[in-house]
Amino acid sequence: MEDFIQCSTTVFVLLFGLMMKLRVQLQCKNLHEYLRELSPDLLDRLYNHPATCLAVYRELPSLAKNYVMRMLFLDQPLPKAAVALWVKKDSQKHHDECVSVLSGLRLWHSQQLQGGLQGYILNPVFKDNLRIALLGGGRAWADEGSTLGPDRHARDIESLDRYAMERWEVILHFMVGSPSAAVSQDLAQLLVQAGLMKSETGEAPYITSAGFQFLLLDTASQLWYFTLQYLKTAQSRGMDLVEILSFLFQLSFSTLGRDYSVEGMSESLLTFLQHLREFGLVFQRKRKSRRYYPTRLAITLAAGVTTSPVSSYSKLAPTPGAGDAGFIVVETNYRIYAYTNSELQIALVALFSEMLYRFPNVVVAQVTRESVQQAIANGITAQQIIHFLRTRAHPVILKQTPVLPPTITDQIRLWELERDRLQFTEGVLYNQFLSQADFEVLRDRAQGLGCLVWQDVPRRVMVVTPQGHSEVKRFWKRQKSHT
Amino acid sequence: MASDDEVSLLVIVVDVNPIWWGQQAQREPEFTLSKCLDAVMVVGNSHMAMARTNKLAVIASHCQDSHFLFPSKSWRGADNGGDDASSSGDGKYELLSVANNLIAEEIRNVMSKTEVRGNSTETLLAGSLAKALCFIHKVSKELEAGQEMKSRILVIKAAEDCARQYMNFMNVIFAAQKQNILIDACVLDSDSGLLQQACDITGGLYLKIPQKVALGQYLLWVFLPDLEQRSQLVLPPPAHVDYRAACFCHRNLIEIGYVCSVCLSIFCNFSPICTTCETAFKIQLPQMVKPKKKKLKQPT
Repeated sequence: MEDFIQCSTTVFVLLFGLMMKLRVQLQCKNLHEYLRELSPDLLDRLYNHPATCLAVYRELPSLAKNYVMRMLFLDQPLPKAAVALWVKKDSQKHHDECVSVLSGLRLWHSQQLQGGLQGYILNPVFKDNLRIALLGGGRAWADEGSTLGPDRHARDIESLDRYAMERWEVILHFMVGSPSAAVSQDLAQLLVQAGLMKSETGEAPYITSAGFQFLLLDTASQLWYFTLQYLKTAQSRGMDLVEILSFLFQLSFSTLGRDYSVEGMSESLLTFLQHLREFGLVFQRKRKSRRYYPTRLAITLAAGVTTSPVSSYSKLAPTPGAGDAGFIVVETNYRIYAYTNSELQIALVALFSEMLYRFPNVVVAQVTRESVQQAIANGITAQQIIHFLRTRAHPVILKQTPVLPPTITDQIRLWELERDRLQFTEGVLYNQFLSQADFEVLRDRAQGLGCLVWQDVPRRVMVVTPQGHSEVKRFWKRQKSHT
Repeated sequence: MASDDEVSLLVIVVDVNPIWWGQQAQREPEFTLSKCLDAVMVVGNSHMAMARTNKLAVIASHCQDSHFLFPSKSWRGADNGGDDASSSGDGKYELLSVANNLIAEEIRNVMSKTEVRGNSTETLLAGSLAKALCFIHKVSKELEAGQEMKSRILVIKAAEDCARQYMNFMNVIFAAQKQNILIDACVLDSDSGLLQQACDITGGLYLKIPQKVALGQYLLWVFLPDLEQRSQLVLPPPAHVDYRAACFCHRNLIEIGYVCSVCLSIFCNFSPICTTCETAFKIQLPQMVKPKKKKLKQPT
């Protein structure tokens, strides 16, 4: 007798709605996700520099930071059981997370203890260099400008900030196609490679939907995203990834307003420095200048690495990029007042709102269902819009909690959900049951296994997850042979 | 992960009582004040290295006064370029080496200027704590909009408690409690009833370390984690708290005493007129006899 039921072998997609839209999301990885993808020996080489160790350490989960601190001055491995006892029972989950992060980044290794127990020991290279970063010793990170004597053209912090802001704005302006903004060939190419801009042969590159999402990020995230893209292409430029990463982290731990010397830097590092100069991360008076000043952009770079959504407004307040940080007022009547005269910022606000009035120092716009849905169709998410509004909120509305009126944020999310009515779940379809009893037996079994995705009793159809499929199938075979 | 809008301020109050440290150097030459300060710097560095928004202050608590070791007057803040205090020229994080140089320099100043006058040999801990609270208040006023601050005070206590500071001390503790500031205490020598109360009331940790030489490691293990992580970690159990109060008349710690029914002042002997609020008590003689019999020697 032939099989009563038929398992469709193709993977089914359940549709809980009518519309579907695939969307390109701008993926902004954090430092850990990035480092985890690097090869082990590359990681080990990275930890050879105190600055990298400090930067990696800073981005660890807070519990893991404490683990590292506890083990920093131990020379023997600690039994795993002892480490597990450090946390209370109900935070076991955090503990497991920390263990996986620390192992994933090769910050600690498992080692056999005497007596056969498994133990943990910190990566010796990492340990030594973190100790150096904390307590001193070892070689200096960079030559200080002091060896060059005082700079006659010394820069104060304000002018550095202004410089960094100008440089970064030029890139953003270039992306929105302002005619006045010109960037180097290298940079334009990088933007295209990063997928932020597209260029057809012979034409000037134009912005993509990913580019729009990029513009809505705050400066720190923009910078980090951009740096990641740069690093991706670094190796193809014949640069040593370890060298430039170490340099980058070293920059982020340097003091603002202080000059550093280019002495002892390799050829590829000098090229890198020129690129950084173009992004506004460092200030160098002339290409051949013997000294450089890191700007605030470089110093906040490692801080922008976190993916915490509401980060760094405060830090970036005096910073560039956002132009005049804190200029947007959002009211509960869906109106946005943007106190700015920057074309770029106005263009950004216009991405998701309808312009109403424009004055020399302020623009008034209205957030509407159409405008938000238009933006969402362009690949911008509600979260990004809300984040944009919050990070650029005017100091006046920044004082209220929550910063943005909840009606507005909720409504923007709801407008997004209107388009997101589909949910995809993979599954295997079971149909053509001969009797209701058969159907119910199998359904109950699947339910018991927790792999039932969907069922339709009158039509005797059910869908199970791919993981549960083999088990359910085996059960059915057994069931059939019994009867 | 702690968000960037959260500032964590750690104020370390170190007891630098010259008399105690002098005796300590004779008792145990391997653990001196400089060793202790090294440990403090390690903890301070670790705290500052943990996150960009972490802030640190170190206060030295002397016999007659208390000094800010860091940030000191000569320091103009991290964002202020052109520091003349140059870094140590090795692989240390610049900010940390600047801070450490400053601490070392300031403590040298403090200790070299010491002249112990009169018989005031007790550490002015209450004063230092009050200074710490003021500093915390000042920093919290300087926060930018949208930032929140969590602060705690870590006291590294060497010399004996001083019952004469009882009143001031309790005031400081309650002020800290109101501001949600933790007070942690790491006690090197003899248990301190005042600090036990401070930690208990503010929710901090109290630990009398069994081995002084390992101070640094104790600080890193127990006192470095902030409140959030402490809820996850297994830490030493709370110590038994000595809740004895000091009487207002002789500043003795007592277990049983007399309390004025009007102003709640505490006295070790009965007096017919409360010295604080000047209430006159009309108490019949027969009852006068009873307390006299019960009168306790103050346990020490």
